[in-house]
Amino acid sequence: MSDQSIAPVLEVRHICKRFPGVRALHDVGLTLARGEVLALIGENGAGKSTLMKILAGVQSADSGQILIDGRPVVIDSVHKALRQGVALIHQELNLAGNLDVAANIFLGREPLLRLGLIDTATIHCQASGFLDKIGLDVAPTTLVGDLPIGQQQMVEIAKALSVNARVLIMDEPTSSLSAKETDALFRVVRELRSSGVSVIYISHRLGEVKELADRVSVLRDGENAGDLSRDQIDHDAMVRLMVGREISQFYARRPHKIGDIVLEVDRLVTPAWPQHPLSFGVRAGQIVGVAGLVGAGRTEMVRTLFGIDQPLAGTVRVKGQTVDMKNSLATIRSGLALVPEDRKQHGLVLEMSVRENTSLAGLRQNALLGGFLNRAEETRLTQSMVQRLSTKTPSLDQVAHCLSGGNQQKVVLGKWLSLAPQVLLLDEPTRGIDVGAKEEIYRLMEELAEQGVAILFVSSEMEEILGMSDRVLVMHEGRISGELDRDELSEEGIMQLATGRPQAA
Amino acid sequence: MRWINPKIIGILLLLIGLWVFLAIAVPETFLKGGNLENLMRRTALYGILGIGVAFVIITAGIDLSIGSIVCLSASILALLLQVRYEPFDMQPVLAVQASQQTIVLPGHVETFAAGQKIRYQGGRRARNAMLIVTHVAPVTFTTHQNDQVAATALKVDKPLSRDDNTGFIAKLSTLTALDRGDPAAGIAPTLTLAAAHPNLAARDKLVLLDPAAGRQDLVIDAAEVRDAQTVVRLRDELGSNVSQQWLAIPVERRQRMSVLMAIAAVLLIGLILGLVHGLLITKVELQPFVVTLCGLLVYRGVARWLTNDQVQGFKTEYADSIQRLAVGKLSLGFTSHGEVIGIPYPFFILIITGVLASIFLNKTIWGRYMQAVGHNEAAARYSGIHTHWVKIVAYVICAVLACVGGMLFALSNNSVSPSAFGNFFELYAIAAAVLGGCSLRGGEGGILGVIIGTAVMQTLKNSILLLGISDTLEFVIVGLVLLGGVIADQYIKRAIDRRRLATRRVHPPA
Repeated sequence: MSDQSIAPVLEVRHICKRFPGVRALHDVGLTLARGEVLALIGENGAGKSTLMKILAGVQSADSGQILIDGRPVVIDSVHKALRQGVALIHQELNLAGNLDVAANIFLGREPLLRLGLIDTATIHCQASGFLDKIGLDVAPTTLVGDLPIGQQQMVEIAKALSVNARVLIMDEPTSSLSAKETDALFRVVRELRSSGVSVIYISHRLGEVKELADRVSVLRDGENAGDLSRDQIDHDAMVRLMVGREISQFYARRPHKIGDIVLEVDRLVTPAWPQHPLSFGVRAGQIVGVAGLVGAGRTEMVRTLFGIDQPLAGTVRVKGQTVDMKNSLATIRSGLALVPEDRKQHGLVLEMSVRENTSLAGLRQNALLGGFLNRAEETRLTQSMVQRLSTKTPSLDQVAHCLSGGNQQKVVLGKWLSLAPQVLLLDEPTRGIDVGAKEEIYRLMEELAEQGVAILFVSSEMEEILGMSDRVLVMHEGRISGELDRDELSEEGIMQLATGRPQAA
Repeated sequence: MRWINPKIIGILLLLIGLWVFLAIAVPETFLKGGNLENLMRRTALYGILGIGVAFVIITAGIDLSIGSIVCLSASILALLLQVRYEPFDMQPVLAVQASQQTIVLPGHVETFAAGQKIRYQGGRRARNAMLIVTHVAPVTFTTHQNDQVAATALKVDKPLSRDDNTGFIAKLSTLTALDRGDPAAGIAPTLTLAAAHPNLAARDKLVLLDPAAGRQDLVIDAAEVRDAQTVVRLRDELGSNVSQQWLAIPVERRQRMSVLMAIAAVLLIGLILGLVHGLLITKVELQPFVVTLCGLLVYRGVARWLTNDQVQGFKTEYADSIQRLAVGKLSLGFTSHGEVIGIPYPFFILIITGVLASIFLNKTIWGRYMQAVGHNEAAARYSGIHTHWVKIVAYVICAVLACVGGMLFALSNNSVSPSAFGNFFELYAIAAAVLGGCSLRGGEGGILGVIIGTAVMQTLKNSILLLGISDTLEFVIVGLVLLGGVIADQYIKRAIDRRRLATRRVHPPA
């Protein structure tokens, strides 16, 4: 770590922020040394994002002080934050996919030639320098839209470096990265650290935090819950500070009965990977995990299974009945349900209420004669789902947009549970949701399995796959590279298959 | 969804404000029964278009073809309901042999006999002549192409000119009795024709001709054949100069199609156009803007072509039937000036349409689907909704309501000039929908808002007229009010979002 004698590069004192009627941050403090990686963790709604937005000039604090190099500064715009060397990399990347890498790095700050033309030669040359610095091996002339998401993230980092950022705030940077891309990102973060850049790293993935952070700062309900120094960082300690209680048994698998085969997939060919027919089965009460790297074709597989994408060939049977795959309405009728990967784009109509979202898939079958809405049934169903899933919402008419990630996911789950599906497909069901809600979703999966639902769940979180699955399918480049039973499960075994190496004997 | 969206309150206040202002500023003209009635009628007609486009906007689409559909449906209705009057027993003339005082008719015609009075009409001079047949004979006629055809030669009493080469002849009936009736006591005049005309019926006409000069066209109320004669009761009064020496031509009223058939045909066309829009947008994945822009061009062009770019109208043929739907009103009594005031019938049509549309949008699964598709089409598809058909239905509703509006506009104006009829109506409709709370981003909007939005637009137009503002400023004012409306809406939305954010923090997640 860097020289401790000089003032911290960034210090935050007594920050308070109120939104109308609510206290978002109360007396929050934070220090960040030069060349330090500080992990900021906390449940959703704990105030992490608000604090980071204040630092990056997106919002302003009601009271409190921000000091850069020991000097108080006023940060009331993104522009001023950048001038102080504070750059925020949002969870959703802010890049123009139709422009090349160099143009994105210099967007808004293009060096100009006479007549106001952009000096393309200079920006390509300078961009190469920044790309080299972070070890990203792409030409500055590559279109950003053609890069995989991991490399796009690197472009964002290069962009931050190009404005001489000394404090880099990364909000859930790995949420859509594969393991390999995550490794590359970590390498870059470590290099930045050794070159004196300080990083505030926000993540829900405690494994990553443990691996990367020099120090952990925990927020809970808008207040400092405690700090952990490098040698204090461990999983349980972090969870304890975040939730303020112990989570004794995170993955509560109880032994349970596995029944007859429910879902049979026979040589299903997805449009994304037409050369690899997929075959497998899921039994009643069985939880089958689908592991693999991002881009291995897992999402494409469940999309095709659910009739969103049209299969090119193959049959799918549910309890022996062949499923009509022409659209999602037909697959839903056959007893399938899908909790999609992208909750906000595909799972929910964010502008609609909890009630309207919960009832959406079942409207047709619950409708009165003539296609009239059955309000009473809609309310009853939503009420029972909210209770069953202990969704925290002020009312059934609350707009989904205003719920936290975990509660949004519960609304999506409620929509499908109300149809009592026989096969539940879950695609990254716990992505971006906090520990408490995760635990509840695991409990729910367990409960559904006990009721005889066949569950197929895609996850990029190894702990989840290892903890929850009765069996694991590992995918690699569009094919199922291996299947592992619960007693054969190991992180190494899965990684071997996921990276395409032949299965160890 | 709530029945009354809080966003509506603002626009409603604007409307009431406008009314109060006008009632104070120009009370004598604004509050006049005729003006209010007119305002209601125009609000109703434009409102129907607005309701249609609201469905499309709610599904995050747009329809620019409404004005052209209005024009096309109006033109087609006028064409389908076109009425022609043609004499019964009218015969086309094959040739006129002036030197022989003979008119040649095609085929062997047996309805003419010597002594029969006929009327010849046509020729290069477009002449009218009353003639008496002196001799009838079947002949074989040699045409210019040297074909031999069967024909009938009528020799007549008067010389014919070389210009009388083509045209028609119609049989004239003599009058055997004439009763002027008593118009004051409501007793209709009756005429008795010498021959039996079993096909003559109400709404046909009699053309009465003076052997010397003079003509009257009279509408028939009833006709009855008695003893090989026809007794005709007239709807119109008989002119004082008409005498028993006049001759009559029974004229048949020919309507191309019954009113119900014509309306059904126009609605069917609307349905097909909407279906085509929807299919192109969903299945071929074209942008709604482009598809309906092409529609805007094509439908107006088709309307101009079908009508030969001629002004179409209904004359007075339907004044007592469907035209009442557009121009009639439910009388509420008399004002102090003796003027009848009432609620125009189109306003009831608007209310019925609005209630049905509101029920559809808020109470049926289809309405819910439309809102879901408008907000987030992908999420709707992932929930097992046929998003394509939801959108197609929206375009069909829009096109059909544009046809309903188009027909009412046509009946109300009684004059459809295809090159200009309905110009910019799509923009009025879209503007009213946006003013009434629909968001072009989709999902948002309600029917009541659209109707109020339309009323605001029409009140603005009305106020420009009443306040004596130059009508060249009309678009300026409408445009600025719309802009002000959406700016206000944006600020309201931000305030609501801030409140939402606050409620989110009040209920911290699990």
